[in-house]
Amino acid sequence: MIVLLEMKERIKLIYSKYEAFIIPVFKFLLAFIVFNTLNSRMGYMTRIDDMTIELITALACSFLPLGLMVLIAAVFSLMHMYALSMEVALVGLCMYLIMYLLFFRFSPKDSLVVVLTPLLFAFKIPYVVPIAVGLLCGPSSLVSVGCGIAVFYLLQTVIDSAPNIRTMGDEAILEKVRMMVESIVGNKAMLVMIAAFAFTVLVVYLIRRMSVDYSWTIAMVAGAMINVVLLLIGDLLYDVNLSVGSVLLGSLLAIVVAKVLEFFRFCVDYSRTEKVQFEDDEYYYYVKAVPKMTVAVPTKTVKRINSQRGGESEPGMSRQPGRSVETQRTPSDRNGSRAARPQGRSGARKGQRGMTMGNAERQMDTDDNLEEI
Amino acid sequence: MLSEERIILMTRMASYEKGEGRENVKIGNYFRSDYIALQILKAVVCAIIAFGIMFGLYMLCNFEDFMENLYKMDLLAFAKDVLTYFVAIVGGYAVLTYSVCTWRYAMAKKSLKCYYHNLKKLSSLYNETQ
Repeated sequence: MIVLLEMKERIKLIYSKYEAFIIPVFKFLLAFIVFNTLNSRMGYMTRIDDMTIELITALACSFLPLGLMVLIAAVFSLMHMYALSMEVALVGLCMYLIMYLLFFRFSPKDSLVVVLTPLLFAFKIPYVVPIAVGLLCGPSSLVSVGCGIAVFYLLQTVIDSAPNIRTMGDEAILEKVRMMVESIVGNKAMLVMIAAFAFTVLVVYLIRRMSVDYSWTIAMVAGAMINVVLLLIGDLLYDVNLSVGSVLLGSLLAIVVAKVLEFFRFCVDYSRTEKVQFEDDEYYYYVKAVPKMTVAVPTKTVKRINSQRGGESEPGMSRQPGRSVETQRTPSDRNGSRAARPQGRSGARKGQRGMTMGNAERQMDTDDNLEEI
Repeated sequence: MLSEERIILMTRMASYEKGEGRENVKIGNYFRSDYIALQILKAVVCAIIAFGIMFGLYMLCNFEDFMENLYKMDLLAFAKDVLTYFVAIVGGYAVLTYSVCTWRYAMAKKSLKCYYHNLKKLSSLYNETQ
């Protein structure tokens, strides 16, 4: 566990050091995957179905806000729809407008959820979404999850209807619109998914906020089970042709991903929970304090022992008769001091927590070895 | 002399101001009634536009039937139905917005109270050092 915690701290250090580069790179990759998936699945407009355009747009998205990435992806999909048929693009535009006006207004900051939900649906691992959102976001994010699902099913409907739409003539405007609207509104699978995911997000959120031990683990397991049950009930009631195997496997994968998220976001040690009670003039306080599992990144201190005679002592060198000792910290310590120091301090302040002690012991071992040398 | 407590407090407050605090400060600048009224007004406008789009799509889908039965159907009853749906959608959306905005305002005020408390604490820390 200590190795994992050290690794986590290292990742945090690297992230804090190179944040300015990591976020644009992440945005670029996400945008590229989104545009590439859109082009490969739809690809009706050959002009934009081009790697160069994907790269340029993704590059632009890397320094633009995430909200604009959603907008550009929507424009991309509308262009493909327009190339297929103007009526399809009209229905798509109406759907996007309704979603924006009625739903997306409530959670405009959740652009990432709106982008990731259809993307994970396309990669057939959508069951991660409600659990991750319930763990990391607030209850209003269920609106974004719902919008993401609606977007995926809208695009899927366009892809499924494309052969029929192509066979229809240009004069069949109303038929095309009717077919699209009926396919979207009557899509029972979409409604079942939206209902199941929304309920799962709420359940996960409510459980993880509870003041019980292992609330995150309980929340993710309960969320996965409720999601499976709701999807199966929906399948039985509306015959939406869900694969039970993929639902179960996807839910297991979702729990694994949620565990990873928990490790990075909510890594606490319940065995050292402290319950304190105190009062002031107005209230009694019953406080439960759960310590975080933290470990300082190991710092290596290199002592150079040179036999040196004469000459003035330099900064960082202490003069001793017959030899000089130069203490030099490794770059990881120098650069990471900002993040490493508070943890060390907090560990000391909170009564020398076990993890930090372990690290101190390791440091002492190193010093003992040096003494022997 | 650097004060560790002051620096921690300032860092936390700066992080708050940059993140969720920005939105909360915006909300906190309004009186409760003003904020909720403005949001409901925006919601009503959005709901009217959304209803217009939905009605337009409905009419496009059923245009042929509508034209065929134009002289046979009871237009007054049709208008009454449309109006009922309009009121249900716009009214329902306004009520939903009201409850969401009331909750948001309460949360923002609670959060800002904590922020202002920290500001006072910071000010007292400065006074102590002087």
